[in-house]
Amino acid sequence: MYQPRLIAFLCSWCSYTGADTAGIARIKSPANIRVVRVPCSGRVSPELVMRAFDQGADGVLVLGCHIGECHYDTGNHRAAKRLPILRSLLSFAGLEPERLRLDWVSASEGERFSKIAEEFTGIVRALGPVHWRINSSAGHTSNQILIAADEEIPFPETDCTAKTNSIRIKARELLASGQVGCVIGYEVSHRGRTRPVFVYSPEQAERLVWNPDCTNNLTTYLPAKLRSVKGKEPSKPIAVVVKPCDSKAINVMVAENLYKRDQVYALGVACDGIRSADGNMQTHCVTCQESVPIVCDALISGDTSSHIQRLSSYNGKEIVALQAAPPAERMEFWLEQFDRCIRCYACRQACPLCNCPECLYERDESTFIGLGIRLTEKRTFHLGRAYHLAGRCVGCNECERACPMNIPISLLNQRLADEIESAFDFRAGLAVAPSPIVTILSGEYREG
Amino acid sequence: MSKFNADQKRWLISQAELEAWLDGISNARTLIAPRRVSGILLYRPVENSRAIACHNQSSGSIHTERPVLSVKEFFFPPTERLFAINKTGQEIYLEETFPDWETVIFGVRPCDAHGVELLDALFLDTNPVDIFYARRRRNTTLIGLACREIGPACFCTSVGGAPDDAHSVDIMLYETHGDYLVESMTEKGRFLIPGGEWKETTDRHQKSAYAGQFSVPDNGKWPEHFKDDYWTKISERCLSCRACAYICPTCRCFAVRDELVKKGEFERIRCWDSCAGENYRRVAGGHKPRSEKGERLRNRFYCKFYYYPEQYGLGTDSACTGCGRCIEVCPAGVDITEVLMDLEKPE
Repeated sequence: MYQPRLIAFLCSWCSYTGADTAGIARIKSPANIRVVRVPCSGRVSPELVMRAFDQGADGVLVLGCHIGECHYDTGNHRAAKRLPILRSLLSFAGLEPERLRLDWVSASEGERFSKIAEEFTGIVRALGPVHWRINSSAGHTSNQILIAADEEIPFPETDCTAKTNSIRIKARELLASGQVGCVIGYEVSHRGRTRPVFVYSPEQAERLVWNPDCTNNLTTYLPAKLRSVKGKEPSKPIAVVVKPCDSKAINVMVAENLYKRDQVYALGVACDGIRSADGNMQTHCVTCQESVPIVCDALISGDTSSHIQRLSSYNGKEIVALQAAPPAERMEFWLEQFDRCIRCYACRQACPLCNCPECLYERDESTFIGLGIRLTEKRTFHLGRAYHLAGRCVGCNECERACPMNIPISLLNQRLADEIESAFDFRAGLAVAPSPIVTILSGEYREG
Repeated sequence: MSKFNADQKRWLISQAELEAWLDGISNARTLIAPRRVSGILLYRPVENSRAIACHNQSSGSIHTERPVLSVKEFFFPPTERLFAINKTGQEIYLEETFPDWETVIFGVRPCDAHGVELLDALFLDTNPVDIFYARRRRNTTLIGLACREIGPACFCTSVGGAPDDAHSVDIMLYETHGDYLVESMTEKGRFLIPGGEWKETTDRHQKSAYAGQFSVPDNGKWPEHFKDDYWTKISERCLSCRACAYICPTCRCFAVRDELVKKGEFERIRCWDSCAGENYRRVAGGHKPRSEKGERLRNRFYCKFYYYPEQYGLGTDSACTGCGRCIEVCPAGVDITEVLMDLEKPE
């Protein structure tokens, strides 16, 4: 009989005592479980769980106090929201979801502890050894899952001079009046490439352009530009050219107190979709239904007659195809994708919402991830980043666009956005509200 | 490694002969060639010549666009285990494993081969010699393929290279009207060539016409620009990612760390690192000598065009091969050629 290796994170106040109670009452519990005592189930960060799986655990059990009985009032609320999200992420990446379980055991419930432990061990034993841990440095190229690409929409010729002119006029006005200190927009380089530009004076406003290649999410630059420095004058507000998807990032950043709403002047551009490098419409634009930015202080509408035909709705085809595949194939698919990663962090740096002062996955003393550019570390980084963006990602797809290795990062983000929407009725960036999984009492997790 | 062999020979072979030759190589050694992996082109091991990516399937021509990563990863891999540390009781054992398999890389771009030569200056020609790099270098034969056209971001001709430059490879191939002109450049290359079977020729390949050159600032010109505001200005759009460094054929910084493998077992690994990261060169106490991204981006250009020639420059003007990868990969549109041209402009 296979003896699975299980890690149990037990809250010190209830579940650990509950396990003790089981011992005192001489109720038999399976010996497969290695207990890690934690102060609270809210202490069990997703990184700990992932680390346990990375190191070869066959299953991870997290037990806390019953809802309403947390020693710290709300710690188990956090666990109740985080772990199901983590489970759906790990399941999407190829782990059998049954291998991660969250439950509640109070100090007096020795019998319940033993029952849960027995049950969990049985389930994991039936699943057999876990395939999550990466042992060999063998390449992963046997991808079984073929995803039919969405119909490619060639990008039609569009006339953007009206929008370009409106942006220049507005920028000149804002800079001349001193309302803003800087306008972040797009320019065309000598090579003909559209790229971000920072305009500080009305005369320079001529550099600004609008065209279908304005792909960068310029709100990425805002937190650093607006950061208050001790002993220095607070910087003037900054105007930023935003597309509908970009503008949502402003809502998230304001909700997370990175800057105040009145520090940003959003020059919203009515968007007809953005062109990718191959000349077609970018995949996330194909199903995008928004053409007017949500956060917008001035709307650059231009000529609206050139509206481009798009798909009627988001169909999540790739995600459906992946989820229909057995876990082993899903895992193989993702390992093949992550295998290409070079840990250049272009995805993270291009992301407006990856704005931690120091990335958890880059800290020298990090115990969650090593320095190596190897498959284990790469997977940990990508899954961790996706988790950290749950309920925060606004779907601008800049991570995927910036990736030199063509890794479909947005599938992870989209999967979690879907999960958050079905669980909390929440979509990031529609209002100034933080992610439901970082707040405490509002919005409990609903199964299914 | 003699760069110019006296008995440099040339052969003319057909497409079929080329494929048969590569198949033969792949039987006995690891053959690495441009291969399409999930929509992008990478140098990857191939089982036979049919797995090599072709730009044009119908014509069967073996030319492709430039792979996303250079061949750097086969000499200086993203992660290298320097040694394993095993602790049993009071005893501590160190164990080294050296890369000792024979490899042939086919379809190497002249710019990439030049990049390897630039890495040699640091890893091979400067003491102490890097044993891992040296072994990989010794066991690897580079088969170059002259570029048929100059790509949109290429500027090798401005930094001393050329699309048909054969200086840094062991064997060079030029496509001529559906056939291939093969030139053995080194002893190691000569060893791979099935002498008798191929038709020898005295033809030389047609030199490509180089267009669009621009002038690169002299080494001596760089110090005076060190404190310019220019660097802050152009780095504003820089996202401080490491894409440019990691795809660069000559960026060669690394970090070393001892990591736990499992209880009682450790390893010392060496991984790619980049001066674009904020923590690069952080010292005890947390001071970061290049905390501004302008300083970090400036370092990238100085390293290529000033520090490298100063330190290793034996006739080299820069550590840039003009492959143009950093231009294409930069998510924010930072352009190395723009910087070079700006510096050449009179104030």
